[in-house]
This record gives sequence, C-alpha cells and structure tokens, in this order.
Amino acid sequence: MKNKYIFGGAIIVIFLGFMIYLFTQTNVQYENNFVKVIQSGKTVKATGTWLRERNYEYDNQNKIFSFYIKDDNGNIMKVVYHGMIPNNFESSTSVVVTGKYSNGVFQATDILTKCPSKYQEQAAQKARS
Amino acid sequence: MIGNIFLTLALLAGVFTILMYYLTYKGFQNTLGYARISYHITAVMVMAASALLLHAILTHQYQYKYVYDYSSSDLPTGLLISTFYAGQEGSFLLWALFSVIIGLILLDYTSKRGDLEPRVMMVYSISITFLLIMLNPLLKSPFNYIWAEPTFVDMKHINTAYLTLPALQNFIFSDPQSNKHFIQISKELYTILLANNIALDNFIIQGKGLNPLLQNFWMQIHPPMLFTGFAMSSVSYAFAIAALIKNEYKDWIKQALPWVLTGMMVLGLGIMLGGYWAYGVLGWGGYWGWDPVENSSLVPWLIGIASIHTMLVQKKSQDRDGSSRFVKTNLILCIMTYVLVVYSTFLTRSGILGDASVHSFVDPGMTVYLFLIIFLVLFILIGIGLIIYRWKYLTQHFTFEENVLSRELALFTGSVALIASAVIVLVGTSAPIFGQTVEVEFYNELNLPIAIIIGLLNGLSLILKWKFTESNQLWKNSRFAFISSLVLTAIIFAFSGVNNFMLVLLNFSSAFALFVNGEIALSILRGKRKHLGAYVAHMGISLFLVGVVATGGYSKHQQVDLVKGEKVNLFGYELTFTGYQPIEGGKKYAFNVSIKKGNSIKTVAPVMYIAEFNNSLMREPDILEGITKDFYVAPISYDETNATTNPSVKLKKGEKYSYKNVEVTFENFVLPEDMSAMMSGGKFKIGVNLKLKYNGKTEIIEPYMETTNEGPKFYPAESKEADLKVFINNMNASDGMVELTFSSLSHNNEQIPPKEVLTVEASVKPFISLVWIGVVVMVLGFVISAYRRSKESLV
Repeated sequence: MKNKYIFGGAIIVIFLGFMIYLFTQTNVQYENNFVKVIQSGKTVKATGTWLRERNYEYDNQNKIFSFYIKDDNGNIMKVVYHGMIPNNFESSTSVVVTGKYSNGVFQATDILTKCPSKYQEQAAQKARS
Repeated sequence: MIGNIFLTLALLAGVFTILMYYLTYKGFQNTLGYARISYHITAVMVMAASALLLHAILTHQYQYKYVYDYSSSDLPTGLLISTFYAGQEGSFLLWALFSVIIGLILLDYTSKRGDLEPRVMMVYSISITFLLIMLNPLLKSPFNYIWAEPTFVDMKHINTAYLTLPALQNFIFSDPQSNKHFIQISKELYTILLANNIALDNFIIQGKGLNPLLQNFWMQIHPPMLFTGFAMSSVSYAFAIAALIKNEYKDWIKQALPWVLTGMMVLGLGIMLGGYWAYGVLGWGGYWGWDPVENSSLVPWLIGIASIHTMLVQKKSQDRDGSSRFVKTNLILCIMTYVLVVYSTFLTRSGILGDASVHSFVDPGMTVYLFLIIFLVLFILIGIGLIIYRWKYLTQHFTFEENVLSRELALFTGSVALIASAVIVLVGTSAPIFGQTVEVEFYNELNLPIAIIIGLLNGLSLILKWKFTESNQLWKNSRFAFISSLVLTAIIFAFSGVNNFMLVLLNFSSAFALFVNGEIALSILRGKRKHLGAYVAHMGISLFLVGVVATGGYSKHQQVDLVKGEKVNLFGYELTFTGYQPIEGGKKYAFNVSIKKGNSIKTVAPVMYIAEFNNSLMREPDILEGITKDFYVAPISYDETNATTNPSVKLKKGEKYSYKNVEVTFENFVLPEDMSAMMSGGKFKIGVNLKLKYNGKTEIIEPYMETTNEGPKFYPAESKEADLKVFINNMNASDGMVELTFSSLSHNNEQIPPKEVLTVEASVKPFISLVWIGVVVMVLGFVISAYRRSKESLV
C-alpha cells in the first residue's frame, strides 16, 4: 500500500506543483474592456468587433496585417499582426486577439475570428430596425 | 413530425427499459422479457429516426431547419451523408444511433454471462436516455421545422417562381451592409404558403451548405469514430456501476476488458483522424493544436488507457492467487472515463467555450446548457455516490502492498502518469470557464516529462516480473535495450544538433520502450501470437512518440515568395511556381509548384478559393509525403502585379531611402505661410522637402499637394541629373509621414510584363510519417488484445 502512495503520490505532487506554476506563467485572461487592455500592458485575449468603417490594411511587402477593433463601450484600438489575413476575416462578427498593447498599438500574436451561423439572422434583424 | 414521434417513443421506451431492468434486478420474475422488448423498441425507433433524417438530407427536404442549416443540393452523396452529423442535433442522433447498436451487442453479451444483464443494461439505458432527452423536440431535435421559430432564409435559396407572390412582400428583409435579401420564414408565412398549395420543400430549394473545411474524407469518418468511442465508454461505466450495485468486484474486470479495449482503440483512432484532417486541411502545418475541443476528447481517452493497465493488474492477480488488486482504482477510472465524455460534451456543446475554441458549436441556449449540467452531475453522483457507499467494504477487502520492483507497481505508476497528463489537459481546457486561457506551452512543457516517464515505464514494466524482481535480473534484462537506445539517441543528437534536453530524453525513453517491446515481440512471434497485442500497441505508441519528437524538434518552416518561373532554393529543394488552373468546375484554383530534389521532380498543388459558404478566402495546403520527411506547402496569397520597378515607400521625417544610387532624405513638410486657410478648410498647399544625394552632389526637390474643390491633388517633382521623378501618393502632416513613389525618368516607358507571385509557407517535417504509422500500429495492437481478452471473458 505504502509504495503505491509513494510512487503515485510523488508523480501527482510534482506535476500538480509544476502545473500550478506553469498555469500562472502562461495563463492569459480574456478582456473585453480595452481601457484595461491598454493600461495593463500584459498579454491578454482582447475580445471586440472589427471596425468595418475603418477597413483593414495589409502591407504585402512586410506581411503586416492591421485593423481597428472596438469593444462594447466603444473604445477603439489598432491591432497589428505579423502574418496573413485570417480566413473568413471579412465575415467575422467578433474577433479575439491575443497579444499585448505597446507603443500605441495592440501587437497581436494570434487572431481568432468568430463567424456564428446566426450571422445572417442578426444582419437581417439589424436591417429591420 | 414523424421523426419527432420516433424520438419521443424511443425516449419513453428508454425510460420503461430502465424501470423494467430495475425490477428484474430487484427479483421480479416476469419483467426481463418486457425490458428486452422495450430496449429493442428504443433501438428500432432511433434507427428509424436516423434513416428518416438521412432520407430528408438526401432528398433535400429543407422544411427541416437542420437540413437547411447544414446541407445543400450541390454536395456529392458522400458529403451529403456527412451533413447528418455536421451540427449539434445530428451528432447527438449519431451518438444515440451508435449507442443503441452497441447496446444490442451488449444485451446479447451480458445475457450470456450470469446475472449481469439487468444491472449493466439498466445503467447503459440511462446513458441512452440522456441522449434521447437531449434529442427531444423541445431541446435539440433535428426534425424541427424551419418555420417553428422565425428564420431568415437567403433569397438565393428560394424558388424564384414564388418570389412574385404578393403575400410574400411582407416577409422580405434586406441587409444594406452585405446587400443581401432574406425571406423570414415563420408560422404566418407557412400558413400563407399552405393556403396557396405551395410545399415548403418546393419553396426553399437550396440549403446553407456544409462548411468547406469539413468537406473532406477524414471529416466524414472522424465523427462516427469518435461517437462510437463515446458510446463504448458508457459500457465500461455500466460495468463498474453494475459491480458496485452487486458489491462483487471480481468478474466485471474480465467482462469489461474487451469493451474498454475496443472503445479506447476506436476513440484513439477517431481522435488521431481529427489530427490527420487538421494536418491535411487547416494549413497551419500541425496535427494537434491543443484546442479545447480536441483536448476534451483526449482526456477520457487518457483515463481509459490508464484504466486498461490497472484492470490488467487486477485480472492477473485474481488469476494468480485470487487477490484483487487496484479494485478501487479500476472502479474510479472506468466511471471517470464516461463522466469525462459527458464533461467533454458539456464543454463543447454548451457554448461555454464560446471564444476559446475554433470548433465549438454555436450557443445552443440555456435549456440545453442546464440539461447538460444536470446529466453531468447525475452521472458523477451515481458513480462517486456508490463508491463512497461501498468505500469501507472496498478498503477492508482490497488493500495490498506492492513491491518496488514489481510489474504491478510499474503499471500503476504508469497509470498515474497518464492520469496526471489527463488532469493537466483537463485544467487547461476548463480554464476558459473562469475567463482564463493557457498558452500551448502549458500543455507541451507539462506533457513532455510525463511522456518521458511513460516511455521509460513502458519498457521497464515489461522487464519487471509480476510480484517481485531481483535487481540484478532487472539490469541483465534491460541491458540490451538500454545501451541500444543510448547509442541511437547519441547518433540522432550528434547529427541534428538539437539543443532541447527534454526532447533528447523523450527520444531516449521512446527508443527504450521500442527496443524492449520489439525484443519481446520478436521472441513471441514464434510462440503465442495472440499475446502480441500489448507489445505491438506499445511499439506503436513509441513510434508515435519518436514521430512527435522529430516533428516537434526538427521541423523547419519559412515563408517564401515564388515568382512565376523563377527558381527558389529552400531547405535543399528547388521550388518553382509554374502557374495555376481552375479545378472542380472553376470553383477553386490549384497553384502548381514544382519541387525538385536531386533528380526527382514532383508537383504540389495547394488550393485557394473564395467559398460561397462564408464568403471568405479558403486555403488548402498540399503535401509531398515521404517516409523520412514531408514537404508541406501552405498557400498564403497570390498577387498579380504590374510589377514596376517603381517602389512605394512610407517615410517619416528624417528617414532615408535609397533609389538606385540616389539617397533620398525626407527633410520636412513645407507648410503654408498663412496657416489660417488650413485651419478653416480653405485652399492651401503643402510641400514635401526632399534632399537628394548622388555622385557627391546634393539637391533639394519639392513635390507638393494642393487642395482643390475635388479634394487634394498631388504634384510630382523631378531631378534630371539624378534621373529621378518622385510622386506623392499620400501624406499625413499630423503624423509627420508621407508616402512616395520613385521612378526613373529615362526608363519611364518600359513595358514590364506583370509578375505573378505566389506566397507560400513551406516547411519540412521530418518523420511525421512515424506519427501516423505509430497510430496504425497501436490500433493493430489493440485489435489483437481485444480479440484475446474477448476470448478470455467467456470463462
């Protein structure tokens, strides 16, 4: 009985400790308030919507993709991403960008676009109102 | 309508089945027959409902919302069939379908083995009933009509013959933003159509279609595999609960083992098919992204694999001296396997992961969320409740001490390592519930040492004997494998110069497991072949791990621009973009890249197209597959530019740019003397002061912008001596930035043919083939083991 607990326990304890440590190192919080994103300067996942009116820019030479997103309170920030335009970016309803705010722009390392299938319905409802 | 009746009948019969089996277990004599009939009614009804849905899909009956949402009339038959499980409702039905079919086999199996049937089938029917409750018309039935709730249908999908209907005009909506027009299908409209004798499936003649990412062979078989695995995990749950109910813990191990083995084989294969799909379709170049949805099916698999190992110990010790070891562990693991399947379902289908996962389903609404929670809690309560209830008995009867150098302890420790891995993945995957996420490193860094431990234990446990091993014996038996792996690792390390110590260790431990298992497998080949299973499966997992190390540590990738007809050398390959052609009837474009290595020339053709489905650019990679390495080409973009030698650059104040042999410095803006016009929106002129340096000379030129009634107008400036003309494309005085285009005066009229540029991400992935080979070998091992254990379960 004892051996079981020594061996099993050792693995569990070591990895639990290691896991908690790494979790605090690599965890990234969701943030839908850009004021906080800009203030914290930490790596976050900022959620917002792409500001269609300001379009997006793609610098073909340096492969830099940039666009503006706004949060629910209407705060706007510019996102800069080194890489290609994600598939289905144009039809996205909401965007999750991972990265941190520095030098006046949000430097994204990852972009996730959500395109719910309810999109069409929402669009149509907007049209009604 | 009829489909919903089938599902409702199935549900009622399911509840009745549970009740009848319960009464049978309680000792009633005449209820067993009813239970069986009732179970068969459930099974037949679910099959009938599935057949009906499939028929509705194949005949394009868009009056069903599910059929409209996920299929379309232009899909080939194979893909049409796969739209059956493209959404939540259908995949629940698929899960239920596999559950009832497996249940028929389980009923037969348990009826031949003592008094198992009532207990096992009762619990198993609870899990089927759970699915049927999720499928009922009020929650997630695939048979709900499109007009039941007002739904907007794109005008494109409506039969044009009816668009002129005067009554229809009140139901038309337009979205100015996307310039789309919709018809709102509601009860009112349905009544109107009915009055006009128009059938709804004649009115809506096209569906939304299937996500193009899922239009792939592997995605046709991945969900069925996964759901078969899910369905089978409830079998091990049923066996464990049945043992707890009877308070008898010996026989269930033998009886459940073939089921657990088969279930985990199918689930594992299903998971890796998803990986193979990701590798071949998504274009990011990997097969496992630690995405929450991928992870949530991996967790139950890891627990299931852990349970197999400790169940084996219990079986062995019972055969040897009648002592049952690890009874509690086995019960808990078998219960947790299914509980985690339900938890995984909750994560991926409740909408709780919303932003965190690429594949999670859209938000299904609060009721579904609530029911999933209820079921999760129910299955945990039944399982853990019974364990607590029996805890005292279990501790009194089944407490043993294992020697340090025994196979029992090695297997147990290995299982603990698997459990640790499962816990890690579970924590990372559940983090979004608390508004947190973890990065990929979290999983990689934590699982790497676990994989090392598992590899070593995998080898060691086979060298160790049951009960007790002399330490000098241990060294003698592991000597060959140990030294061989050491040599192999050293060779690989020397040649690759990889600097990640953990990867080297993993390489060593996988090689060690491979050698030990290979050695034993070879010696068995002449003897009892049906004992090969474990060794083959372990060799599979070792090969898989070697593949993981190779691709994880030694892959190279780079983004390159391929100009049509121009050779580019990369990673020892010579790439040439040779042009593109339309494929699939002009729907997609294949971009041909010829790849020369030595004397062999092959062509890969990555694909890009605009999908109508979501109106966005889709990219499909193409892969040059080989045993030692894959050459992976993912398309990024294609440009056809009238390539001029006239570069455009953005310059900030004080920045320099060299054009040919002229150094141009943007000195400053020349603002008007009188700023009032600028402030008041009147007409004004802003110049750009540029300093040219060439051949030791310095010159100032000033292109400028003037505001006119038609907006700003830009005037270029030139210098004959410097052979340079500068245009302003754009300026922003408040940012102090200007965008200029430079051209040469003497070569101004050159006609340059357009340049076609294909940008790709090319990567070399050494030994990724081992990942797939490893999985196939592992599955083969499972097949052999499952066969052997099913033979033993009859005793």
